Amino acid sequence: MRWLARRNHGWMVLGYVLMTVFTLWAVIPFYWMLMTSFKPESHILDPDPSILPTSFTLANYVRAFVTVGYPLFLRNSTVVAVAVTLASIVIGSMAAYAISRLRFSGRRVLARMLVYSYLAPGSVLFIPLFAMMVYLHLNNNLFGLMLAYLTFTVPFCTWMLIGYFRTVPFELEEAALVDGATKWTVLWRIIVPLSAPAMVVVAIFSFTLSWNEFLYALVLVQRKDLMTAPVGINSFMVSDQTFWGAMMAASTIMSLPPLLLYLLGQRWVVAGWTAGSVKA
Amino acid sequence: MAAPGRVLAPAAAPRARTGLTQALGPDWQLAIPLVLPILCVMLGLIAFPFLSSIWYSLNDIRVGGAGKFVGLANYQSLISGALADRFWNSVQVSVVYTGGALLLKFVIGMTTALILHQHLVARNWWRALVFIPWSIPSVVSAYTWKWMYDDVHGVINLKLMSWGVIHYPILFLADINIALWAVMGAVVWRGFPFWTMTFLAGMQSIPADMYDAAHIDGAGAVKSFFYITLPNLASVIVVTTMLSGIWTANEVQYVYLLTRGGPANATETFPMLALTLGVSNFDLGMGATVPLLMFPVFAVAIWFLTRRMLSSEGGAR
Repeated sequence: MRWLARRNHGWMVLGYVLMTVFTLWAVIPFYWMLMTSFKPESHILDPDPSILPTSFTLANYVRAFVTVGYPLFLRNSTVVAVAVTLASIVIGSMAAYAISRLRFSGRRVLARMLVYSYLAPGSVLFIPLFAMMVYLHLNNNLFGLMLAYLTFTVPFCTWMLIGYFRTVPFELEEAALVDGATKWTVLWRIIVPLSAPAMVVVAIFSFTLSWNEFLYALVLVQRKDLMTAPVGINSFMVSDQTFWGAMMAASTIMSLPPLLLYLLGQRWVVAGWTAGSVKA
Repeated sequence: MAAPGRVLAPAAAPRARTGLTQALGPDWQLAIPLVLPILCVMLGLIAFPFLSSIWYSLNDIRVGGAGKFVGLANYQSLISGALADRFWNSVQVSVVYTGGALLLKFVIGMTTALILHQHLVARNWWRALVFIPWSIPSVVSAYTWKWMYDDVHGVINLKLMSWGVIHYPILFLADINIALWAVMGAVVWRGFPFWTMTFLAGMQSIPADMYDAAHIDGAGAVKSFFYITLPNLASVIVVTTMLSGIWTANEVQYVYLLTRGGPANATETFPMLALTLGVSNFDLGMGATVPLLMFPVFAVAIWFLTRRMLSSEGGAR
């Protein structure tokens, strides 16, 4: 069935060798981050570091939490990511339902605008958004940051949900409509419950996109007590000294929420991802 | 656009006579509240900033100050004036950075996808491990690579020295000739699993009997790849390259966190230049002009992708 392996063992050997190389390359930085985060300071600065674990300490995690206000960064990240996710799902499912099911003029224009918005490069938007937030006094403000994040989560969520709504059989709605249900009822009683798996995927992605976002967070927030985790981790770099242990501990902590979400939603995420419509 | 064309139930019919309904479509009363929020987002947070960016590019304007209309002076300054060297350098860096990253992601993504498509022992484990880079936040990968690249305590230099491969540390992020490639390494590391995944999905949709037929005709692995796999993946490859190209060229976090555009602007991509001019130097006019000058390149890709996405009736699946 698979052409590489058919008869030729040479190809198979080559395959395993290459796969081993790429897998090591993929895993080592992750491994080194974990290793460093559990090492005492003396071992971190060892001139010939051991590849295998030789000691274990939680000192870096303690330091990460007490020195630069990392818990606050995590809190800010959580507030922003959760609020943005909820808002995008509500806005996205409403718009997706209208675009995929209702008949009104301007629907095609709306769909086209949506794709443009989805593909709009952030590099063009961050300067005017920065100026706009300064003008509205929404810089150094988590609400301003949330608004900026909607620019990429809403088009993305809407687009994914349109694709999903189209797979929900129309007959179900038709039956409800014949029975006298309004389209509002159809949306909330039929489409939304049936789309739960898609909503989960969309929620995971928009949470992750917001949680990981760096550029807007860097530009729109300068006040330290309002920083999110991606930017805040930079605080472990003080002029020319870097607290690598604490930084790697903070990085490990920051990686956990998206990782856990993927593990929980893996079954649906892979299907959604292969739609090829997820930011890399 | 299949679903809306269906015959609607009688329940919807009574309203279908008024003039407004004829002009705006049968479901307009419900559609307006449903699309209002997304219209606010698209017009207020995307279209308006985009247009104001064009306005800024025609002004000499600082953050918080009043602007002075200067026509195309900002463009002139970047293309052939005071900032020309720096701007064209950023274009060149962006081209090498994006082109190199796309090429490497393609090669590694294709290789890993081809292997993962075979009957490997413990295939799911290989797959899970290869996807680790994608599952951690991209800023984390930037911080981690910065740590590994470090010239004093970084593991790469220390190991290479203890194995006797090098005698002096390589200044991965401070050597003019190496820094861009080092940044690219982190970008490719984080980004290649996306390509593996899309290629793998594409390969799984190629019918197996095509390979069987080719095999009967005496085609080997290499021929099968070039005559069956590659042509069947063509559209997946084009779309992935364009999407990834737009994102890679426009992202700034790796460069910002690893090198801040240095040494001597050797890694200053155009978004990094825009960030420095527009935000660090508070020169909104210049900062807005840099990405706008590059925008036509992406507009072509965006136009192409939009056509594709709209004709495939809505992305997912």
